[in-house]
Amino acid sequence: MEDYPEELRTPPLSLVSIVGCPELHPAISAALSSRQPPMNLLALPDFSKASILARTAKARDPLAPPQAPAGILKKDWLLKHRTRVPAAVAAMFRADQVSGDPAQWLQACSDLENLKSVIQGRNTKLVVILVQSQAGGELSEDVTVALRKRAEIDSKHLVVLVERDEMEWTKSLNKLTTVFAELCTTYYKDEGRRVKARIEKRNFSSVELSIRYCFKVAVYAEFRRDWPEALKFYEEGIRVLREMIGTSTRLPPTQRLVEVKAVAEQFHFKISTILLHGGKVVGAITWFRKHIRSYERVVGSPEVAFLHWEWFSRQFLVFGELIETTSTTVPDTLSPRFGTADNALTEWEFQPAYYYQLAANYLREKRYALEFSSSSVSLTKGVNGLPESVMPSVYVGQYVRLFEQGDTVAVLPLSDTEYTSYALSEAERFQDSYEIIALFRKAYESFRSLGATRMASACSGGMAIEYYAAGDFSNAKQLFDGVAGLYRQEGWATLLWENLGYLRECARKLKSLKDFISYSLEMAALPLFSGSGQGNSENKRKNGPAGSPTISSRELIQQEVINILEGKHASENTDDEFDLHLMEESTHLDIDQISPLRIVFLASVAFHDQSVKPDSPMLVSVSLQSHLPCPVMIDKLEVQFNQSDCNFVIVSAQEDCSASNSHVHDGAVQTPLTLFTDKWMRLTHEVKPGQSGKLECLAVKATISKRLVVCCQAESPVSMGEFSLWKFEDQVEALPMKDNVLAFSGQKLIQVEEPDAQVDLVLDCPGPALVGELFTVPVTILSKGHTVHSGELKINLVDAKGGGLLMSPREAEESESHHVELLGVSDVTTENGSKEEVDSIRKIQHSFGVVSVPTLYAGDSWSCKLEIKWHQAMSVMFYVSLGYSLDSTEEAALHRLNVHRSLQIEGKIPMIVSQQFLRPFRREPLLLSRIRSSSDDDKKSSLAFNESNMLILSARNCTEVPLRLHTMTIVSNDDGKQLCSVQQISGISNEYAVIAPSEEYKGIFSVNPHTISPSFFLGEICLSWSRDSSIGESQDSRVIMKERLPEVHIEEPPLVVTMECPPYAILGIPFTFHVKIYNSTSLLQEIKYSLVDSQNFVFSGAHNHAASILPKTEHIVSHKLVPLGSGSQQLPRITITSVRYSAALTPSASAATVFVYPSEPKFNLEKGYSSTDPCVS
Amino acid sequence: MIVCVAVVGHQNNPLYLQSFTEADDALKLHHVVHCSLDVIDERVNNPKRNAPALNETFLGLLYPTENYKVYGYLTNTKVKFIMVTTDLDVKDADARNFFRKFHAAYVDAVSNPFHVPGKKIASRSFGARVSTIVKSFGSGTTA
Repeated sequence: MEDYPEELRTPPLSLVSIVGCPELHPAISAALSSRQPPMNLLALPDFSKASILARTAKARDPLAPPQAPAGILKKDWLLKHRTRVPAAVAAMFRADQVSGDPAQWLQACSDLENLKSVIQGRNTKLVVILVQSQAGGELSEDVTVALRKRAEIDSKHLVVLVERDEMEWTKSLNKLTTVFAELCTTYYKDEGRRVKARIEKRNFSSVELSIRYCFKVAVYAEFRRDWPEALKFYEEGIRVLREMIGTSTRLPPTQRLVEVKAVAEQFHFKISTILLHGGKVVGAITWFRKHIRSYERVVGSPEVAFLHWEWFSRQFLVFGELIETTSTTVPDTLSPRFGTADNALTEWEFQPAYYYQLAANYLREKRYALEFSSSSVSLTKGVNGLPESVMPSVYVGQYVRLFEQGDTVAVLPLSDTEYTSYALSEAERFQDSYEIIALFRKAYESFRSLGATRMASACSGGMAIEYYAAGDFSNAKQLFDGVAGLYRQEGWATLLWENLGYLRECARKLKSLKDFISYSLEMAALPLFSGSGQGNSENKRKNGPAGSPTISSRELIQQEVINILEGKHASENTDDEFDLHLMEESTHLDIDQISPLRIVFLASVAFHDQSVKPDSPMLVSVSLQSHLPCPVMIDKLEVQFNQSDCNFVIVSAQEDCSASNSHVHDGAVQTPLTLFTDKWMRLTHEVKPGQSGKLECLAVKATISKRLVVCCQAESPVSMGEFSLWKFEDQVEALPMKDNVLAFSGQKLIQVEEPDAQVDLVLDCPGPALVGELFTVPVTILSKGHTVHSGELKINLVDAKGGGLLMSPREAEESESHHVELLGVSDVTTENGSKEEVDSIRKIQHSFGVVSVPTLYAGDSWSCKLEIKWHQAMSVMFYVSLGYSLDSTEEAALHRLNVHRSLQIEGKIPMIVSQQFLRPFRREPLLLSRIRSSSDDDKKSSLAFNESNMLILSARNCTEVPLRLHTMTIVSNDDGKQLCSVQQISGISNEYAVIAPSEEYKGIFSVNPHTISPSFFLGEICLSWSRDSSIGESQDSRVIMKERLPEVHIEEPPLVVTMECPPYAILGIPFTFHVKIYNSTSLLQEIKYSLVDSQNFVFSGAHNHAASILPKTEHIVSHKLVPLGSGSQQLPRITITSVRYSAALTPSASAATVFVYPSEPKFNLEKGYSSTDPCVS
Repeated sequence: MIVCVAVVGHQNNPLYLQSFTEADDALKLHHVVHCSLDVIDERVNNPKRNAPALNETFLGLLYPTENYKVYGYLTNTKVKFIMVTTDLDVKDADARNFFRKFHAAYVDAVSNPFHVPGKKIASRSFGARVSTIVKSFGSGTTA
């Protein structure tokens, strides 16, 4: 677009001219250009310069027949009208120039006359401007009238400018510009109308004139900003122009076409600009389509086809630029259904990139046409050579030759041949490639930002081809590589073929043998499109250097690679060939899972087993597949594992015969190795893994033709990806393994197990552990064949119920105590001095321990005891693992063997202690607290002050083993000792008491409180026990178990009721039953008592009675009773009620029971028995 | 005249591509068809724009390029049909008609029990049928 002249690119502006008074010109010019629409000013300082406005008079005989025009449009016509032919001319005079001095007046008149004569013959309007310094005054009416008459103008065309007064100045300037605007409109309308009349009357001699008139009318309309009319006439002009191609004979055909196209280009540009600036995007695009359609076939003769393509490409480029600069968007009113009847346009036609891409395509077409023309012309070019001094003529799109003869310079027309060779020589001066690349790049970037990846890669490919054509192979290769990725991914084999063909040539040119081989092999292995069976492979322009993809070309390419590898120079152009003598070393190709060369070679490796023991043989299958069209002979196949001991080599049988003296790997297997197209070559081999751990097949290396080493990454059949290109082929897919299971689930890696540990780890548990004791677990390591080096025993205690931790998190924060603790390890066998060394490696924590084990030889054993203490009853999982290595070397240290054992150990509470308080027999203190609130203080036992109370402690063995109870004591604190005397009444008589499982031991204590306290702490029960089995154990094995006694309530009873009754009665013999009521208070106590009849007794005395007891005295109620029945009999129930406390006291049933013998019993008892404490029962 | 027809699979891979020109521009047609996939993507992935055409299989003119016009069609199984023609004025109805017949031929071809879905269509009878459809294009007998 930038190539177009300025006057064509911008809309024309009206032109006016002023002559004289140069000092005012800037102001007037500014005023004009600030108008809407602006006007251009052609300012002439004085009247002598006015001649430039004059017409260049053509000496044409008016009577001569009208000459046929020599061209359609004159180049400078538009420029002339925009810069040199004003619509109106204003003569400026100062007021003093026209008034006063008659000489000056005369001068003014003659200037005016001159000006009039200059513009004569044109329609140019005349305006006279008088410049006054002040409004009014100076100028008389006569002067203005005279001047107007002289100038032959209307009064309104005489404008007076007032210079000094700002307001007047603006006003008069406004008037002037308005006058100019009116005159311009009139002028351009008149001019337009004048030319239009000629068209309407068909008053022209040739079709060229018709087009020219259309152009002129349209331009005049543009001056007036009458866009519809301009558009109409431009369209009319271009229509006529298109028709002219076939009819005109004025010029030789080639030049005629060139001229027509040049003119059409201008017309088209004008139309597109008007439409786009008017916002009619759809109209512009539709118009462009029409324009392209009408000219796309007008190529002309083949020698000058390049001119057509250049022109055609320019159309796209310019339109793209126009769309880009006007930044068009798809109008909302347009139907969104692109490409259908509703909306014939497509999305891309709104994108400049689309036009750039096509411009690049056509420019490339031009390059091809030019190459063709140059080659054909260069043969015929001979005598006439290039025509000299050819230059553009005054007409658009025409060229002429300047012919100088002496002083006269003549312009001669050119013949088509001359023109062709001129155009060719001009065209050859330019490097189109870089322009094409620039266009493609523009399109590429734009398409990529639009997300049109395929279009973008097509552009990228276009760039690459141009780089290739320009000889920039490294750039070309880089671009081609980028594009090839997309084609591979989407499986467009034909496009990939073309791409690889270029890449192969690039590699050849860049002397990169490795690239050349890999591109060639990939090409050879490409699937073919069924449709592209035959093709003219000669046409390299359309199919690229590789020709069209056929089976035979694939085979040729493969053969070429083999030839190069074998050093046979098949082709004659040896300079391009690789100098293999310089490259003695072999070429390596690496093929991994994402490599495009997977279609060339694919290695699938599967072990036949899932896991294996070390040193035991197993089978591994190696399968190779190739899609190359010809069979591939493999010299040597090397399979590599991560354990290099397992690597093996297979050498081709034929190869080995020919080179028998060459060193052959030991263990190399000989098999014929020929890889046929699309068939799996399956090989099975035996390997013996030496080490435990993972054994993985890494790669399969195939050596082909001695020089090429293809290293395929091994793939497991189970995870083998599909071939991106071959997966769409309609063919049967063979499986890599014969075994179906292996083919679908085979793995290229195998787990080699550790050798079986030949060491026994024995955990011995003597039974459940008891809380508090130091529980020992003996651990024995017994070697049964392996030597244990740097053995390490790991011990771990875990809560059996899960959770792992042996204490709750909260407890962990609060204290260090664990429910179960690993306390230590005691060595059994290594008592002799080396203990310290062993100790240093021990690490014991509460639930985890590490113990090092000394070196043990086969048959040796070692044991230790683990000491664990339970603080609470719980079940614990006890894990012990032994890790060791077979010898003390560094390498062996990596392969450690492990033996694990676990044991669940129950932790139990050994004894449950319960306690019970008893009151003295038949002595009931009145404990008020018990009466008052029965519910609250129920839990707390109440004891009477200064009375002896019985405490019975019973320890129950809840284990399954007999336990020894060594001591049972109550340990009270210092206060307790003073305030309360606790005496053991009965205890362990011997050294210890053995308690069988689920038996109970009872100890009796007498408690006599000397203080009154609502909550009194008696002390702790302290039991010392041990297992019965541990005979001969020291004091250490005794476990002290402590339990707190509950608090008691001690109070003073106001009344104590004591019943006195003989220990037994005899039937029929009366006895006395006393009830003593002691008032321990300092108050008079009134009591009531009542006796209920009992059928087994008769008694004498009051049933109901009341008594008053003085302070600190005792009242005795006596009844005489005669038993009537024998056996254990209930005495008559007596109820004593304290009036003061409203508390009744009934002795307990056991207290009120007496045994009645039928007759006097005969006892052989010691005397002392009867005198013992009556409380013992 | 139709110069090329193509069937493009789910991964934008060509399943069938046949050109019908004397000139050796098969490769160019491959390019043209491949590039047109961008327009199909654009139209299919832009449902806002194509809201009224929810069930429309005919995608219309994809883009004009050089002297070709490329038309597209998307089957309900998301297989794309692409047709390249050199005719200047193609009636929508003709194009629709062509695709309808082509679709029928395609359905018959892939219904072959020996055809594996997603693989290239190598059936010769399909090729012959397509040739007939291509020849009858625009001849007015498309009823």
